[in-house]
Amino acid sequence: MPDAAQRSRDRTAPMIEFKGTRVRFGSLDAIGPVSLSVKRGEFLAVIGPSGCGKSTLLNLVAGTLKPAGGEVLYRGAPVDGVNREIGYITQKNHCLPWRTVEGNIRLPLEFRGYPNGEIASRVTSVLQQVGLAGFEKSYPRQLSGGMLQRVSIARTLAYAPDTYLMDEPFGSLDAQLRLRMHEEIMRLWHQTGSTFVFVTHDLHEAITLADRVVVISRRPGRIKLVVDIDLPRPRDVIDLQSDPRFGAYFKQLWDALDVH
Amino acid sequence: MSIERATGDELERPSADSGNVAEKRGGSTRFFNPRRIDIYLQIAFLIAVFAIWECSAIYFGTDFWTSRPSAIAQELVNWANSGLLWTDLKLTLMEAGIGFVIGSALGGLVGFVLGWIRRLGDFFEPFILSIYTLPKIALAPLFVLWFGIGAINKIMFSAMLVFFMVFFTTFQGTRQVDRELVENARLLGASNFGIWTKIAIPYSAVWVFTGIRIGLPYSLIGAIVGEFVAAEAGVGFRIKESTAFFNTAGVFAGLIVLMAISLVLLGALKLIERRALRWQVHNSMDGVVP
Repeated sequence: MPDAAQRSRDRTAPMIEFKGTRVRFGSLDAIGPVSLSVKRGEFLAVIGPSGCGKSTLLNLVAGTLKPAGGEVLYRGAPVDGVNREIGYITQKNHCLPWRTVEGNIRLPLEFRGYPNGEIASRVTSVLQQVGLAGFEKSYPRQLSGGMLQRVSIARTLAYAPDTYLMDEPFGSLDAQLRLRMHEEIMRLWHQTGSTFVFVTHDLHEAITLADRVVVISRRPGRIKLVVDIDLPRPRDVIDLQSDPRFGAYFKQLWDALDVH
Repeated sequence: MSIERATGDELERPSADSGNVAEKRGGSTRFFNPRRIDIYLQIAFLIAVFAIWECSAIYFGTDFWTSRPSAIAQELVNWANSGLLWTDLKLTLMEAGIGFVIGSALGGLVGFVLGWIRRLGDFFEPFILSIYTLPKIALAPLFVLWFGIGAINKIMFSAMLVFFMVFFTTFQGTRQVDRELVENARLLGASNFGIWTKIAIPYSAVWVFTGIRIGLPYSLIGAIVGEFVAAEAGVGFRIKESTAFFNTAGVFAGLIVLMAISLVLLGALKLIERRALRWQVHNSMDGVVP
């Protein structure tokens, strides 16, 4: 875990940069132009009405989609092809049903050619981290949605990417479980010092987790507002809700979303 | 460092021994538990069917058309004593078995390749569909022409039937693969080779198994139909021969042997499945959480 000084120094270098980025699907302008820079070690939340292209922004960073104009830089270099330095977690957990929890977590490490001993120790460690110890031999079918999402997170954690792209990862979980996952995500962020880009349509989620919230407009998606969330850390997901500043941020973001 | 451990209510444990629970709850004595009673009833039903069959055949004099259990049993004993039962059985099983192995292997392989290589699959799809509806059994006479009337003919015919069942299932199942799964694997760091070995092959294996399950009875159908069309021995040949001599009991004896073979094959298949598809064995039992 990098210390605070280290982290603040790192924060000056941008991890991800969108420079006049535009995306087109056929004749439809989906995004842009968007210019945004995400600092190293930052927790950025992206909100916006559905269909505004929030997920598209993540796909650009992941390299599964090419911009129609402008640039997407990762660590200063244009994203070219699939970006393997990121961890991508979506609402779908993409667990392989024929592999056990352990087998699923091993997958990226096997892909990346880690030696067997290293794989075993990493798997044990991340299972502990996400609270899945004891479920190594379970198959995905035997687990609930929340557990599967933990497997998905553990699998990403195992290869320790510099950046976590999260696309409404807790969208299918119930409210209580969500709150607990928020705590866990914040803890992970502290532990890893990685950069997080978190897409959601839930304002509570965005304010609770993020250093900065970006509001995307309706299609074609553009940046409408960027708000620094100046709430002290570590944050308590419950206490936070009664903080007057939380309410003020909520109001500000709600107005910017323009749901009506 | 560690995050709180997940609570138990998040996990659905497979209730593998629901039967035992019913047993404990259901009865004061083992003899009267519901599952046992079902088995007694099934045996009683079978005996009743045989008894009615026997009596009605004697009473109505329909021996010629329906035969009767005692005559069939006698026929089976004669068949066994002549030594022909074992040679016939061995021959038919050999034909079906080799045909099954060849057909499954080729069907799985071709289905896998055409299913995963999208362009190749698209190219062949219209041809594949045109063969799909063809009643493959109609090809039997052609196989006699090509492979003669010996065992090779039945093996090839049986292999052909199994091939198509396994091939269609694997091909169509594999083409339905969630492309997101593949894309996600790439993000996790997979090379093309990694995608093939760790995603494509295990994914298709499930469909190959499904195809094999559907194809297994076809291996026997292939052998029997082959023997019907032209043969000198085998269970199918014996059935046809008995028909020619109006030996109804002989026909039924052949059918009973076929039924026994089917049961054995089914048992073998279940055993293989339980090992290979362990991850979905509890399918029907646990509450699947989406």
